[in-house]
Amino acid sequence: MRFWALFAKLLVSLQLVWKTASVHTIAKLIIIIKKIMQKQYITRLFLGLMVLLLVSSCMKDEPLNAECDLEQVILHTPHADEVFFNRTDSSKTLLYTDHEAVFNVRKNAPLDGIVLKFKITEGATIERLTEGTGFQADVPVSYRVTSQDGQWHRDYKITISPEPTHIISSELKYDFENFELDPILGKYYIWHNEKLDGTFGNDWATGNPGFRLSMPSTSADKYPTAPIDGFDGKALKLTTCDTGPFGVMAKKRLAAGNFFLGEFDVSQALSDAMAATRFGIPFNLEPVKLSGYYQYQPGPKFQDKDGKEVAGRVDEGSIYAVLYRNHDAQGNAVRLQGDNVLTSPLIVAIAKVKSLPPTNEWTPFEVAFVYKSEIDKTLLANMGYNIAVVFSSSVDGATFEGAIGSTLLVDKVRLTCQTEE
Amino acid sequence: MKRSIIIAIVALMAATVVQAQNIFHKGILADVEYGARVGYNIGGSAPLNMPASIRKLNKFPLTPNIAFGLNAEKPLTNDFGLMVGLRFENKGMSTDCTVKNYKMEMVKGGEKLGGVFTGKVVTKATEWMFTLPIQATYHYKKVTFKAGPYVSYLTGREFYGWAYDGYLRVDDPTGAKVMLGTSADERGEYDFSSDMRRWHVGVDVGVDWAFSKRFGAYADVTCGFHGIHKSDFKTIEQTLVPIYGTIGVTYAFH
Repeated sequence: MRFWALFAKLLVSLQLVWKTASVHTIAKLIIIIKKIMQKQYITRLFLGLMVLLLVSSCMKDEPLNAECDLEQVILHTPHADEVFFNRTDSSKTLLYTDHEAVFNVRKNAPLDGIVLKFKITEGATIERLTEGTGFQADVPVSYRVTSQDGQWHRDYKITISPEPTHIISSELKYDFENFELDPILGKYYIWHNEKLDGTFGNDWATGNPGFRLSMPSTSADKYPTAPIDGFDGKALKLTTCDTGPFGVMAKKRLAAGNFFLGEFDVSQALSDAMAATRFGIPFNLEPVKLSGYYQYQPGPKFQDKDGKEVAGRVDEGSIYAVLYRNHDAQGNAVRLQGDNVLTSPLIVAIAKVKSLPPTNEWTPFEVAFVYKSEIDKTLLANMGYNIAVVFSSSVDGATFEGAIGSTLLVDKVRLTCQTEE
Repeated sequence: MKRSIIIAIVALMAATVVQAQNIFHKGILADVEYGARVGYNIGGSAPLNMPASIRKLNKFPLTPNIAFGLNAEKPLTNDFGLMVGLRFENKGMSTDCTVKNYKMEMVKGGEKLGGVFTGKVVTKATEWMFTLPIQATYHYKKVTFKAGPYVSYLTGREFYGWAYDGYLRVDDPTGAKVMLGTSADERGEYDFSSDMRRWHVGVDVGVDWAFSKRFGAYADVTCGFHGIHKSDFKTIEQTLVPIYGTIGVTYAFH
């Protein structure tokens, strides 16, 4: 029976080797095998087979990193006070879906002596593709990040953009005319804001990249946020959509159509959906009112997070704008997200459309900003506030409650601000 | 379902013992030796060549891989013989691996989401099957060496699991990064049960050791000739070949 005791030891040892594949456990195994061989030469065949199996399934060396992300850019300049509005502006964190980073700097900021420091995927390399070494205002400079294994690369554009010297109109017009299919994937629409110099920016974001994870076969027109013929030119069509079997799996059974100033961090869409919607962009005007035109039809069946019908509840759309301080008391940069965009103590003013009665006609809406505290004019001039303008086809879409099919159309939105003295 | 099958097999074995003397020892079967065996399968369905993307096996909990079998051996010479068997067994598996840049795909209701995953992957498989081994035998003292092919027919097939505590790069390493958490609604689940084969063919090599007149012990190694999934199934890059060692006890009906 001693043989079987040894055999039991062998099995334990085999499992250890399988688990850790360390030299120590393998040595132990060999000793046990030797002992067995001395006792029972007839089992050699069996043992030989076991060892063969083991050797063939040993762990390989760790593969080199295949990712090639530019995660963060830090701008070093000898003239920090003349370049930045806030010290925190010197660092830009990129989303994994981003392909560009824009540093918004002061008017007439000196651009000599600028050195960029990059945080990239471990082991990856970065090279400047654009000739030269310096930076010019509003001229994108291209960089390529190549993965550690050399198999993959991603290209990025970095722009240093001084505050425009033109006079900013007191009425900001949002007509939603500038959109295109996402240039990398071509799966869904993205929208651009038109800058004063006529170039396009990426101030607007949608949850479309998140919807793509759940329903990758959907055509771009059927995404929660899509363009449609509008009041004049194109309008926004926001639809609360079923997220299908993947949505059920992730307990995110619907996706409200949304459209907002800010960014959507798709990397958080599954694990922390509230953190995925990051509302607001720096703003230096004092907003007075938000107005525009809408159409709204709620979907037939309001459902809760578990997909159960909530009898008697009718879905509602949501339109609002929030002005908030973009740094906390400790001086950290802050961006409001899904769970605090209407409740954060940093909020200074809110303009929220009270109700959007269902209608199939273009219907005007207008709502004034209600200020909770005085605007700090110096802070305002130094980009110390963010503005978020948000549209959603389901008011509780952030918590995945609403009625599938609820549709909000929006066009000709105006953000009226106080004229600068 | 599984339990009733097991009961049926035990009943069949009992009936065999009673009937063995009468029916199975006539004519060409006059010198055939009958036996029964119960064992436990240890192993898994794994790539023959472990890919570098699988970094570490974190957990390998045991699954109910019981094997019940009956066998009949016809002596051909003094030392050699031919053994035919029928067994009902489970080649199950449960693993928790750490992976890096592991190609994966989730498929649900016609929607596909795939890419490369870095994090942890749990895989659970259940494969209840009837197996028919045909083996040449060689006797040396109290030990019998056996080797030969087997055919299995699967009655229960499950292959599912989830990717968690890591991130997926959608499509390829430059695609959108999606963090996957640990809880049921934050992880990525997959189920490839319907892509599994019904029939397995492989080779079964082993030894029997009769330590008393009726009782003995046995150890076998079985290895499939093909993966546990259908050959057109490409979602999992590596072919997962069922390789199991079995240890157990034998009983001889003399």
